Amino acid sequence: MKKILSDKKAITLFVCPTILIMLVIVVVPIFISVYYSLLDWDGLGRGTFVGLRNYMELAGDERFVNSIKNSLLYVAFSLFIQLPVSLLLALIVANIKRGEKFYRTTYFIPVIISGVVIGQLWQKIYNGDYGLLNAVLGSLHLEHLQQDWLGQETTALIAAFIPNLWQYVGYHMLIMYAGIKSISPEIYEAATIDGADSRQIAFKVTIPLLKPVLEVCVTFSLIGALKIFDLIYVLTGGGPFFTTEVPTIYMYKTIFDSFHYGYGSAISIFIILECFVFTMLLKLFFRNKEEQA
Amino acid sequence: MKNRMKKLLALFAAASMMVQLVGCGGGAGNATAGETNADTSVEAQDQAEETPAKEEEAAPSSEEEITITIWHQSVADTDPVKKIIEESVTEYHELHPNVTIVQDGVTGEQYKTKIKTAFVAGEAPDISYMFSGGSFVKPYIDAGYLLPIDEYLSQDTKSKVLPGTLDGCTFDGKVYTLPTITFLANLYCNTEMFDAAGAKIPTNWDELLDAVDKLNAAGYTPILMGEKDRWPGMYWYDIISARTASNAAIVEAFGDPSKFNSEGFVMGAEKLQELVKANAFNDNMMSMSYDEMIEGFAAGQGAMVFQANWVHPSFWADTAATKGKVTCVPFPVIDGGAGSITEFSGGSSDGYYINANCEHPKEAVEYLEYLSEKIGVVGYQQGAGLPCWDTTGVDTSTLTPLDMESAALMETGTSYISWWDNILSAEDSETYKDLVAQVMALKITPEEFAEAMSKLQPSEFY
Repeated sequence: MKKILSDKKAITLFVCPTILIMLVIVVVPIFISVYYSLLDWDGLGRGTFVGLRNYMELAGDERFVNSIKNSLLYVAFSLFIQLPVSLLLALIVANIKRGEKFYRTTYFIPVIISGVVIGQLWQKIYNGDYGLLNAVLGSLHLEHLQQDWLGQETTALIAAFIPNLWQYVGYHMLIMYAGIKSISPEIYEAATIDGADSRQIAFKVTIPLLKPVLEVCVTFSLIGALKIFDLIYVLTGGGPFFTTEVPTIYMYKTIFDSFHYGYGSAISIFIILECFVFTMLLKLFFRNKEEQA
Repeated sequence: MKNRMKKLLALFAAASMMVQLVGCGGGAGNATAGETNADTSVEAQDQAEETPAKEEEAAPSSEEEITITIWHQSVADTDPVKKIIEESVTEYHELHPNVTIVQDGVTGEQYKTKIKTAFVAGEAPDISYMFSGGSFVKPYIDAGYLLPIDEYLSQDTKSKVLPGTLDGCTFDGKVYTLPTITFLANLYCNTEMFDAAGAKIPTNWDELLDAVDKLNAAGYTPILMGEKDRWPGMYWYDIISARTASNAAIVEAFGDPSKFNSEGFVMGAEKLQELVKANAFNDNMMSMSYDEMIEGFAAGQGAMVFQANWVHPSFWADTAATKGKVTCVPFPVIDGGAGSITEFSGGSSDGYYINANCEHPKEAVEYLEYLSEKIGVVGYQQGAGLPCWDTTGVDTSTLTPLDMESAALMETGTSYISWWDNILSAEDSETYKDLVAQVMALKITPEEFAEAMSKLQPSEFY
């Protein structure tokens, strides 16, 4: 084993295919997109080079700013609703006496279902006439709460978030659960001996020791929220009236509905840069926290 | 020695996996820059099980084996064109054993994306469907992707096509396709609901509002609207403005959009909002899709829809609650408006266009003639639309009463304008549809609507 790991030639050889694929499928298209973003092109004929004009237009585009606002709201929902729920579930599932495996598996099932299928499912649940949600509210005599969840501007964005929450809560829960399980039981014993109750153990022992795991989850959750497309596209298509339109959907519409390939590419480059910047910020944030501790 | 063998084996395994990946990845290419590659074999693209269409050259003396690929958007089981295309594939092969047609279909909005990426990647099929009206197909013609077919059309074909219908297939003086069937938009009313509510089928605007009130009082949804996809609402504004401003004014405004900011069009938006305020539409119109609207009407959930004759199979199906209980009438006249009741929304034909890189244009056009005529005649018989081909002597016993009604209405027509999203450029269509949605949600005033419309680009067709 050590011999293989120290054999530089072997390492290069085996890493080569994957790096090649990653370059061709991930890196090269990004550069091509950067080139496209400097064009005024309808996607079919020849494009004309316009330099940074697309980016300057983006800066003043109200609809684009609105889409960023929506995606930031979505990020907030992800970080402050989805993660705490996952954490709570992970803490509970890690500590129950029976059925751990069962709950682990059940919560994870939504993760493996495609976003489009989940979108279709929840679309039927939210339906104003025959949807499950309104039916349940009706049977609880809460008729005044029945509404057209996906068709109203006030409820559309949060309604578009719930399926995402449902889908990935198991994913984050599983990562955190693994983290919790890897904490040495001796620490728990020591804490119990010192007289800590379960709440104190959770807050003062488990969560601080979960920091690296939490960092991973926060990063995934953040990037996932910034890049979300298929779920929202199926649920609302960006409507009603742009209240659920996020940059990915705006980009798709610009390219395929409005035939503005260059402008859409500029949006995609922005999304890439946005994810990159946020990841760097997160890393800085967590590093500072570590140095403080 | 054994060690070396192991290393070699591992290397070989890795290399063979790499080769496999490269081989599989070939088809799913990135979108390259907008040049049309001179492709030797044009493949039918599909995510799953499509077998690449290969071209085989038989010995020079016997006839060549030809494969022609065609893409379309007729995938719904209630769409008669779906079956027509499938049948044409088998029938044509029997007539011309050396020609094999391979067909592939994807539904409407997704088809638009698929065909666009295919052309840019140089992997477009020999024949592809294009939506009617011009604004969808024009960018493809301008980019040189499609083949003019004047030189391949036989005189026989030209004589069988109804006069005037070839105009919609001609761009820059060259013919690019053949018409198939045409569509007319009319108001469909559920007669059972009207009777139960004591309402009269409306012939003018006041009667429409009256019917709306009576239907509401009887507990029925007066008008079903699936505005999530935005184009159903667009149809309403298309026809209301035809009544308030007249088709002639609309044509003028297409050429000079500043004319949209005028009384006729403001009045149109006002009338549309009047309907909204009278609770004519279903509450969840913003989240209801087109398909749900049609299924809903066929299931008896609403009293009226304004749609085109492709809905006939759905409304007259044996399983539909509306079978035998629906009639189609022209959209009501609006008093004080400049338009008349013989002005219609519709009238252009979609078509199938030949790829400029097609290897066998002559054979492709022959199939196109065959297919277009079949859709024109058989499609008409099955209620898919009104024919653009000569149908004298054709058996019309399979037509439903709805088909007869809309055919009769077409005979009364004096002027036709296709759906505006087929005439306006892609971007303007999006803007227009969004504006209509805002009007229907009462978010902007009619004046603001007209003002925004006046900022559109002049259309290339008028």
